[in-house]
Amino acid sequence: MENVTTHEEWKSVFSQLAPGLVLFARQWVRTSADAEDIVQEAFVKFWRRNHKIDNRALLYATVRSVALDLIRRDSRRARRETAAFADLEQVVEPQFCDENESQHALALAIDRLPHEQREVLVMKIWNELTFAEIGEALGISQNTAASRYRYALVGLKKDLQPQ
Amino acid sequence: MNDFTDIEDELKKLQPRLTSSELLGRIERDLVDLSDEKIIRPDRFRMNWLSLGIGLAAAAVVLLFVRLQSDHPSRPEPLVATNSPVPATRSTIAPAAFIPEGATQVVYHTRDEGLHFPGGSQEPMRRVRSRTRETLRWHNPTTGASLRVSYPTEQVELIPVSGQ
Repeated sequence: MENVTTHEEWKSVFSQLAPGLVLFARQWVRTSADAEDIVQEAFVKFWRRNHKIDNRALLYATVRSVALDLIRRDSRRARRETAAFADLEQVVEPQFCDENESQHALALAIDRLPHEQREVLVMKIWNELTFAEIGEALGISQNTAASRYRYALVGLKKDLQPQ
Repeated sequence: MNDFTDIEDELKKLQPRLTSSELLGRIERDLVDLSDEKIIRPDRFRMNWLSLGIGLAAAAVVLLFVRLQSDHPSRPEPLVATNSPVPATRSTIAPAAFIPEGATQVVYHTRDEGLHFPGGSQEPMRRVRSRTRETLRWHNPTTGASLRVSYPTEQVELIPVSGQ
């Protein structure tokens, strides 16, 4: 299959997708630089296989696969990332820009979500994937993706309620 | 409207951090390297199939010609080797195509098998069996590539013997 996107077109497409892709990749690593490395490797891999650029589910699945491969390859890194997941309040770099106090609290609440809920939330809110696309990217059903999203929103609302 | 509209709106107000300016450049470099690879590989692939196709077509034409010649006996010529000139049709061929460069026919063995009466013929005919090797050459002036097809042939000629 021939890749229908020219080299100039990929720039504009990638510029639109890049912040969301890096945010998606940040779920598995602690720095933006590491997340960008994952996105770079994944995007080139995606391109090498001549996939259509509008196949977003496959693009995000590739990012996820590269991120998980990276963690598996480096056991020291894996331990570090596991520790990071276990101690989610210790955010090294903020993932969002221009946060006020309430937004900062929301960002921290997102980090406290279970991983499977957070990845669905990131794909839905900041990458605007449909539940069908999310399900395809994660290898789960559309209904499961929708359920995880709903649980994530419930969790956030609960977390942000005044004590 | 669902119960989560407010929290969804809050979430959408959060903007992911912008990616570094180097990321686009790094990917661009990788893709340029990748596109160079892509340009070379299919061309090589096409070249091989083109050569194979031309070779097979040429071989088929020559075999047909040999078959027709053996069916219609003619007087043998004391020909041991011939070299055909370059055809004059070179200018009409597309620049990317192979053009015929020449053909060589080398007779390396001839045997007179004596007189026979083939197919109930009333007059005897002399049967001469010759073994040759024919070589056809093509040349692509655009790429400088050349193609050579060489194959053995065996030819049987029936020569009428004039009665005394």
